[in-house]
Amino acid sequence: MLAAGLLSYAGFSALCLAMERHHQEMLGHQPSPSRKVQLRMAGWALLALSLWVSVLSAGWAMGLVRWTAVLMGSAVFLVWLLPYRPRWALALAAVGLLLGPLAAVAHW
Amino acid sequence: MAWLHTWAGLVFGWLLFAIFLTGTLSYFKDEISHWAQPEVPVRVLDARASLTQAQAYLQANAGQSSRWFISLPDAREPALSVMWQDPNKSGRGSFTRQTLDPQTGQRIEARDSRGGDFFYRFHYQLQMGYPWGRWLSSLAAMVMLVTLVTGIITHKKIFKEFFTFRPGKGARSWLDGHNVIGVLVLPFHLMITYSSLVIFMTMLMPASINSRYDGDTQAFFSEIYPGNQRLVAAGQPAPLVNLGGLYDRALQQWPGGSIGRVSVQMPGDANAQVQFSRHDGDSVSRDLGAAITFAGTTGAVLEQPRESSTPIAIAGTFYGLHMGLFAGPVLRWLYFFCGLGSTLLIGTGLVMWLGKRQLKHARSGVRPFELRLVEVLNVAGMAGLVLAVAGFMWANRLLPATYPERAGIEVDSFFVVWLLSIVHAAVRSGSKAWIEQLGLAAIALAGVPLLSLLTTNHGLPASIAAGDWVLAGVDLSALGCGLVLAWVVMKIRRRAVLAALPVARTVRARPTMPGEVH
Amino acid sequence: MRSRIGGVPASYRWAVASRIVAAVFGGYVLAALASVCIAWLLPMARGEAVVSAMMLSFLVYLVAVLWCFASHSAGRAWLGLAIPGLILAAMAGLLHWQHLP
Repeated sequence: MLAAGLLSYAGFSALCLAMERHHQEMLGHQPSPSRKVQLRMAGWALLALSLWVSVLSAGWAMGLVRWTAVLMGSAVFLVWLLPYRPRWALALAAVGLLLGPLAAVAHW
Repeated sequence: MAWLHTWAGLVFGWLLFAIFLTGTLSYFKDEISHWAQPEVPVRVLDARASLTQAQAYLQANAGQSSRWFISLPDAREPALSVMWQDPNKSGRGSFTRQTLDPQTGQRIEARDSRGGDFFYRFHYQLQMGYPWGRWLSSLAAMVMLVTLVTGIITHKKIFKEFFTFRPGKGARSWLDGHNVIGVLVLPFHLMITYSSLVIFMTMLMPASINSRYDGDTQAFFSEIYPGNQRLVAAGQPAPLVNLGGLYDRALQQWPGGSIGRVSVQMPGDANAQVQFSRHDGDSVSRDLGAAITFAGTTGAVLEQPRESSTPIAIAGTFYGLHMGLFAGPVLRWLYFFCGLGSTLLIGTGLVMWLGKRQLKHARSGVRPFELRLVEVLNVAGMAGLVLAVAGFMWANRLLPATYPERAGIEVDSFFVVWLLSIVHAAVRSGSKAWIEQLGLAAIALAGVPLLSLLTTNHGLPASIAAGDWVLAGVDLSALGCGLVLAWVVMKIRRRAVLAALPVARTVRARPTMPGEVH
Repeated sequence: MRSRIGGVPASYRWAVASRIVAAVFGGYVLAALASVCIAWLLPMARGEAVVSAMMLSFLVYLVAVLWCFASHSAGRAWLGLAIPGLILAAMAGLLHWQHLP
C-alpha cells in the first residue's frame, strides 16, 4: 500500500499544482496554460498508476479497496499539509514520485 | 436543497454523531474487548485443537441442545466462543454463550465486560429494544444519505475548492474543513451509509420478499443462506463425528484461508448436520455461499460451497465493506480515520449551524432558547459522548474483576456520565462547558495507561514485555486521544482568551461572515 | 387574515410539515412499490431479484425525498409521488396476481 500511497499523493499534488491558486501557494507564481495541461495529465497518470500498482499486488477486490483508502488518505494528508507547510507538501510529492515506483517494485 | 441539508443535518446530527463515533470505535471492538478482559489468555492459534476442546465442552454442558455454535479464535479475537440454544426455548433469549480457553477448553474466568461489543451493538441498536433501535438507526442512515447528497448538490465549488483549506480564518476555516472532509472522504461516507441500509434491508424493505414469496419469508432465507433449513430430528441417538477430522476436509475447500465458525444442528441425533463457514475476514465480500455442510454421524458431504450470484455477491460486498473484517492493521487504521472523518463531518456541521445563527444574535445580546438548546446538545452530544467513552473505560478498570453485574454497571457508567454531561452543559456557558468537558475527557483518556497499571497486572510494562501489542495499543491509543484532546482544549482556551481582549474586539468590528450561504 | 408563528406564516410551516410527511412516508411507499415491481421484472431467480430490488429501493427513496423538497410546492411534492405511485401500484398488483397459482 505504501507504493500506491506515494504515487497517489504525487498524483494529487500534480492536480493541485494545476490549479492557479495552489500553484501560487506552493511555487510563488502562476502556471502557464501548457503547464496546467501537463500537470493535469501527470496527475491523472500517477493516480492511474497507483491503481494499477494496487490491483497488481492484491487483485481486483482488495486492490480497489486499498486504492480507494489510500486515495482518500493521501488527499486528506496533502490538503492538511498544504496551508501549514507548502514546501514540505511539494517535497513529499517529489519523494512520492521517485520512491513510489521503487516501493512498487519492492512490493511495499 | 440547502435548507434540507441544514435542517436534516441538525435534527439527526447528534444521533448520527453518536452512531458514527461508536461505529468508528467498533473497528477496534475486538481489541477493546481484549483490553476490557485482560485475563483472557492469548494462545498460539491452533484451530483444530480448539475445535476439539469446544466439542468436548459442548458435549459435556450442552448435550441436550439442538443447536451449537462455535467461533474459533483468530489473530484479533483470542478467545474460543461457544453458544448453544436451550432446547425448551426459542427466539432471541434462548441462547447461552460461553468463552473458553482455546488451549485447555476450560471456561475462562475473566472479568465480565461487554468490552468493544458494547460500542458495536450500540451503534446500530442504540440501547433500545428490538427492533426499535435498528429502525431508528436505519432512519438516521437514510437521513445521512440525504444530507450527503444534498451536501454534494449544494457545494457549488466542489471541484474548484477540492484542495482548499484555509486555517485560522474563523467561520471560513470551519466551512473549508467541513467541505474538505466531506469531499475527500466521500467514497467512505457514501459506502458506509448505503451499506448500513443494505445490511438491514430485509427488515427495512420486505415488500418484495412478501410479494414474490407469497408471505413465506422463511423460504426466502432458505434460498439465500446455505443450510438454514429447519431440520427434523430422527429421534435416534447417534454419536457425533470428531469435528477436528471434519475441519481438515473443510479447510481443503479454501486453501490459504481459515475457518471462522462451526455450527452443529441436532448433535447426538442421527440427522445431525455440521456446517463449517469460511472466516469472514478472508475476503472483501461476505460470502454466504462459502460454507460446507457435512452429515454429523457419517461425515458425508451434504452441501458444497457454492458460487454466489452477482446480486448476492454485491450485497455481500456492501456488508463486507461496512464491517471491514478483511482489513489488516494498516487498512484497519485507515478505516478508523475515515470513520473519524465522518464523525467530524457531522460535528463541524453542528458547530457551524450554531455559530452562524449565534452571529446573527450577537449584536442584539439576546439569545433565543432554541440556540441555547442546540448549544447544550452540541456540547453534551459531542464532548459529553467522548467523556462517556472514557467513563466506560474507567469503570472497567475501577470495578473489581469479580464484582457482580459489573458488565451492566460499566454500561450504566457510560450513560450516567453522558447524562451528567447534559446537566453540566445546561448550567455552564457554552465555551466553558466545552473546555471543561473536553479537558476532563483529555485527562481521563490520557490517564488510562496509568489506571491500567494501577488496577491490573497488565499495565504497559507488563503487556509490552509479554508482546501483547493489542492491550498495549489500546492503552497507548487512549493516551494519544487524550493528548490530542488536550491540544484541542488549549486551542479553544486561546481563542476564548483572545476573544475577551478589548483590542481584539475592535479588530473584529467587521465580523467575518461565511462567504457561502448554505 | 394571516397568522404568524415565530415570525413565519403558519401556512409556511404547514407546507414544510406536509413535505416532510410526503418525503418520509410517501417516499417509503414509493420505494416499496418500486421494489416489488423490480423484483418481478428482473430476469433472474427470485431470490436474486428480491435482493437486487431491495438494494435499489433505497435509491428510489432518496430520489423521492429530494423531489419532495425540490418541488415548487407541497402540493406538487405529493403529486410527484402519487402519480408514479399509482402506476407502480397498478403494475405491482398486476404482476403479483398474474403469478398467483
